[in-house]
Amino acid sequence: MFSIIKAAVGGLTALCRVNGHQQGLLHGHLKVLAAGLKTHDIPPDHSDVVLPDRRKLKFVNKMPNFKNAKKEMKNLKDIQGPATAANAFTKGEFAIVAMGGGYLHWGHIEMIRLTINRKMDPKTTFARWRINGPYKPVTRKGLGMRMGGGKGAIDQYVTPVRYGRFIVEVGGKVELGEIQRIMTEVAQKLPFKAEVFSRASLAAFQKKHADMEQNNQNPWTFKEITLGNMLGIRKVLSPKDLCHNGRFAGKFHLPWRV
Amino acid sequence: MAATLCRILLPKQGWLPFTQCVRHGSKSVTRHKRPLHFLKQKLMSVTRYIPPPRPAPIGAYPRQTIRDQEDDPFTILIKKKLKSVFQESKMIAVVQNSGSTADEMMLLKYKLHKHGITVKFFPNQVMRSFLKDSTYSNMAPLFIGHTVLFISKEPKVKEMLSSLRTSRHMLLLGACIDNTLLSAQGVVSYSKLPSVAVVQGELVSGLTLLTSQTAAMLQRHPAQLSALLQQHVKQQSSEGAPKAQEAT
Repeated sequence: MFSIIKAAVGGLTALCRVNGHQQGLLHGHLKVLAAGLKTHDIPPDHSDVVLPDRRKLKFVNKMPNFKNAKKEMKNLKDIQGPATAANAFTKGEFAIVAMGGGYLHWGHIEMIRLTINRKMDPKTTFARWRINGPYKPVTRKGLGMRMGGGKGAIDQYVTPVRYGRFIVEVGGKVELGEIQRIMTEVAQKLPFKAEVFSRASLAAFQKKHADMEQNNQNPWTFKEITLGNMLGIRKVLSPKDLCHNGRFAGKFHLPWRV
Repeated sequence: MAATLCRILLPKQGWLPFTQCVRHGSKSVTRHKRPLHFLKQKLMSVTRYIPPPRPAPIGAYPRQTIRDQEDDPFTILIKKKLKSVFQESKMIAVVQNSGSTADEMMLLKYKLHKHGITVKFFPNQVMRSFLKDSTYSNMAPLFIGHTVLFISKEPKVKEMLSSLRTSRHMLLLGACIDNTLLSAQGVVSYSKLPSVAVVQGELVSGLTLLTSQTAAMLQRHPAQLSALLQQHVKQQSSEGAPKAQEAT
């Protein structure tokens, strides 16, 4: 007797569950509440990561040790175009990458060093500089001086940074989530646009650009037109446009250009 | 001296450098974005990135080919029911229902229930997919639109037709009686057929006609039988003589 009732109830509940889940014919409005189990992701294994002895960022000098400091030309082409040096990961996992060109002076470098050294955990993380200390002399004339009278005196030293250059590389037994907040805090204070990348995200970013180049539906490309000097367009272009193919404008990188 | 220096600088004989602009206007690397020459603007717009056409979002268009999908449990239940129905019942009639009211339906159901005919409703899609896999696949064209199924264990066609005649909205499309598909006209002609017993009787009587006649003759008075046989002999001899005359 009880077994029959149980079977009937079980059948009814099964039907109800069936009604609730199936979508095609009856559009069942019966909602089935079911308890679930939380599944946790397996945390990553950092056992093969070797941390160096000096984990924090080193102090960087304000100026190089010159006996006779020489004034240099402005040479703004060290900001122009993409970076060819220090544009890939070496030992670390995450990095601040410059998304535009600019000069970093000692104040910026100190800000980076102090913020990262203060906020990172030296037991599990290490950080490395990917830029040199300031070496390029920048001259400035005194306030209110008239034009002429020679070149100004050296005011400060700066490090030129191009698009795609790594500023700081961070690694160790950490995940991106732990370190991203600190690094974006630093990246936003830099004088050029900068972003935090991990190895995977940088590869994805580069792949995205490569895919854009591949699946561009426009039959006309900047490269084709400039190489062939169609319509004499090189009259209004600079020689650098041949190299950069319209992706750069001065020190700025144009991400919507392919 | 300047000429010799020039010679060192120019690697090949008669090689001239490109014309370089000596007049410096403004710098190329600026803190602001330099205004582009109009022609360069045109070039940038002509050579802009055109992304590939995006596919339509999922669910925007119906699927072109209806793939074989796994049946959900309710469909499986209905199919089991259908299987039992097809096995047990001898008559399965498909009727089109064009807007009959609940009262009419109720009356029809009661009328038919008296004769042992049940009225069933099944979804067309499920029906068609069930028929596709079974032997009754030719019934599939009947199940289009609002259809009702009349099922009974005994093929009581006359009663069904009489009740359908009175109902305004029900139209007989076809039936499967004793595993034979019949159209509406076929059902009508089936109803006009004599019953099985009558047909069997006719067949039996036709087969046993001669033997029954001889049995009846033997049961009569022997004088009659002898007279019959004599007549038969006379006839045979008379037939034989004219045939011999014709031959010669």
